[in-house]
Amino acid sequence: MQSIFVLRFRRDPLAVLSLIVIVVLLLISVFGDLITPYAHDLQNADKSLLAPSAEHWMGTDLLGRDLFSRLIYGTRISMAVSLLTGFSALLLGTCYGAISGYVGGRLDNLMMRGVDVLYAIPDLLLIILITVVIGRGITGVFLALSLVGWITVARLIRGEVLRLKENAYVEAARAFGVKDMRILIKHILPNTLGVLIVTLTFRIPSAILAESTLSFIGLGLTPPAASWGSLANEGWKALKFYPHLIVFPSLAIFITMLAFNFLGDGLRDMLDPKQHKG
Amino acid sequence: MTTLLTFFIKESIMRPMKRLFIFVFCLLGLVIFLWQAGDGEKTTTQAIFRMNLTAEPPTLDWSLATDNVSIRVIENLMEGLASYDEALRPQPAIAEGWDISPDGRVYTFYLRGDVFWSDGKQVTAHDFEYAWKRLLNPETASEYAYFLYDIKNAAAYNAGKIKDASLVGVKALDDRTLRVDLKKQAVYFPSITTFTATFPQRKDLIERFGDRWTSPENLVVSGPFLLAEWRHEYRLRLVANERYYGGRPALDEVIFYVVSEETTALTLYETGDLDRVSLPPIAIPQFKTHPDYVHAPFLRGYYYGFNLQIPPFDQVKIRRAFSMAIDRTEIPKILKGGEIPATSWIPEGMFAHNAKIGLSFNPEKARRLLADSGYENGVGLPPITLAFNSDPTNQLIAENIQAQWKKNLGVTILLDNLEWKVYLQRLREETPQIFRLGWGADYPDPDNFMNLFTSTSGNNYTHWANATYDQLISDAASEGDPKKRLRDYNRAQRILTESDVPIMPLFFAAQNLLISPDIEGLKVNAMDFIHLKKVRRRDVNREDAKKVKP
Repeated sequence: MQSIFVLRFRRDPLAVLSLIVIVVLLLISVFGDLITPYAHDLQNADKSLLAPSAEHWMGTDLLGRDLFSRLIYGTRISMAVSLLTGFSALLLGTCYGAISGYVGGRLDNLMMRGVDVLYAIPDLLLIILITVVIGRGITGVFLALSLVGWITVARLIRGEVLRLKENAYVEAARAFGVKDMRILIKHILPNTLGVLIVTLTFRIPSAILAESTLSFIGLGLTPPAASWGSLANEGWKALKFYPHLIVFPSLAIFITMLAFNFLGDGLRDMLDPKQHKG
Repeated sequence: MTTLLTFFIKESIMRPMKRLFIFVFCLLGLVIFLWQAGDGEKTTTQAIFRMNLTAEPPTLDWSLATDNVSIRVIENLMEGLASYDEALRPQPAIAEGWDISPDGRVYTFYLRGDVFWSDGKQVTAHDFEYAWKRLLNPETASEYAYFLYDIKNAAAYNAGKIKDASLVGVKALDDRTLRVDLKKQAVYFPSITTFTATFPQRKDLIERFGDRWTSPENLVVSGPFLLAEWRHEYRLRLVANERYYGGRPALDEVIFYVVSEETTALTLYETGDLDRVSLPPIAIPQFKTHPDYVHAPFLRGYYYGFNLQIPPFDQVKIRRAFSMAIDRTEIPKILKGGEIPATSWIPEGMFAHNAKIGLSFNPEKARRLLADSGYENGVGLPPITLAFNSDPTNQLIAENIQAQWKKNLGVTILLDNLEWKVYLQRLREETPQIFRLGWGADYPDPDNFMNLFTSTSGNNYTHWANATYDQLISDAASEGDPKKRLRDYNRAQRILTESDVPIMPLFFAAQNLLISPDIEGLKVNAMDFIHLKKVRRRDVNREDAKKVKP
């Protein structure tokens, strides 16, 4: 079974390339300290606003900090935030959606109307409200993004559970007197795994983007910490005069978004039983 | 064959070509039409001056305004007894002149008879008496009340020690004569009457409208411009005051846009939507050779203040250590605008400036001081927050100082930025451990800088009080002999920046501006006054008048 997946996946070179990019990014975010030539917050007023050179690969910012080192450091923050929020949103959304879908009836109605209400509020507005209440910093960003991200997941999983629970094997399990909890965990949720993985690959880039947006509007991390978004925020002011400050962070965001999206597409094709190309 | 060919050419090439031509012509016509329509809307023959304010003005009540944004607007709406000439000497304005008694303690101001409020009433000495007493009234809670403390009984009335306002030494003898009794000689007193906080006010209107007397529909002024519109967080529009006693200004309108982002303001300048803009650090290197570039010194100090009521800055050794751990020469390298690093407080270009005073950069000694107070390498210090108002320059400085404290002392501090109005409120109600403020000269005398940190100053947020310092400042104010005065200020500066250190001066600012070549008469002065009454647009009266977008 697994080998078919791998086989099908291998036929999608874009997805394979994306996977490689993501693995590299993950490695960078874990072992980044080993390759950064300078500390991310090391300032040198004499080297302010240098253009990219052999000494500073991506140049320096106004305070004389090495942009390459900051970008590597930013990779860690951006990846950590997005992975953590991606997983926690998934966990929260799955529990909520599964209970709602499996129990059904009035509870389902009630729970889903709650989701509808949250859905009606624009994501960014909700995130801003939460960060304002919790306060700036990495915990604020993390909580805000998780609390917003689960809504979509909950809807997806509920739909999936609704479909799966009508299956004959669920009915069989019920006939054997298996407890509801067990049916849900043992028989239904494993079958949603495909949807879950695909959702995750789409949640992560949107979390990266959301974190960047937050940092960009100044609600993200507190200095001297840096994420791609806060680097882009510092950089856009210099767009006209020192384009290197905006180009590199934007490129990092751009490449990561593409990689996750292509990977997600590849995985969806691979896991979709209706798309048997051969 | 030929007919077939012509037919073919006609059908397959000419027809589409024709259609294309028609289409292009139509499109061109539409574009021209839209262009003109758009242009027609924007065209105006009015002389308008446009600049940006870095924040929404917190108030237009000149008894309460303490910040340069509010003051920038007010100084074009109102005038005082005196106003500055280009050399920053006080010259008669609403007052025709004044007499000083031989002992220097009684000033008698004689008012012009032709100054009118915008509702037609005459500006009288009573309006000044009312305004000054309102400024001193403890209920007004003005932070600039201490400006008039040289007046007899003013300090006591402001402190609530005497309730009877008639004991305060300011009295309108008749509509055109104002008598001021000082408690002692104050050599700079006419300069004080140029400042916004001393401008006249209308008792009847303030009592009628309460807090709303400064809104555009209620505000009555007597200066060169009138407030026509105040769209919050967007713009303030001023129109020429036809009744202005000095003659109607050449400009028809002045528009202050609220644009806090410096780069946005710069872009607006480049697209011709602003006529004057202050350059952000990141743009200065690029614009130094620009024909519109203006560089000028600035009587403005930038400092970090400590809140002496909260640990750890209740300990003077720690304050000294923090001040000593900063290499101030890094600041001009970052801000790039020719700023002057400062360890003392009276700015360059002012009497009694002395660059030798203050704690110079000495990281070893700073570390030792910190260790002596029991916090070696900052271990055991409570969390420390540095607060500043949101602004790219403040942010840069804060990040640099944060890194220097980390490097030189091993102390990690947190940064907190707040919007201007909220920030000012925070300073008053819940002063942060370290806060950032600038002080621009209100009058070009050291008294204005030094008196800021007296125990009675409403603008002193450090909670620092030193009787010797207060006495020195008070003595220097009435001292006629420059040598003795200098000695007093030197001593006071040493207390302020070396021994007690409630503040750490960082640098004296510089002005780096772009001013449109269409603007004439906008004099750049070291106090950053923007008096627009003499400003005119070159381009409006010309035949080929450039279109000015309102």
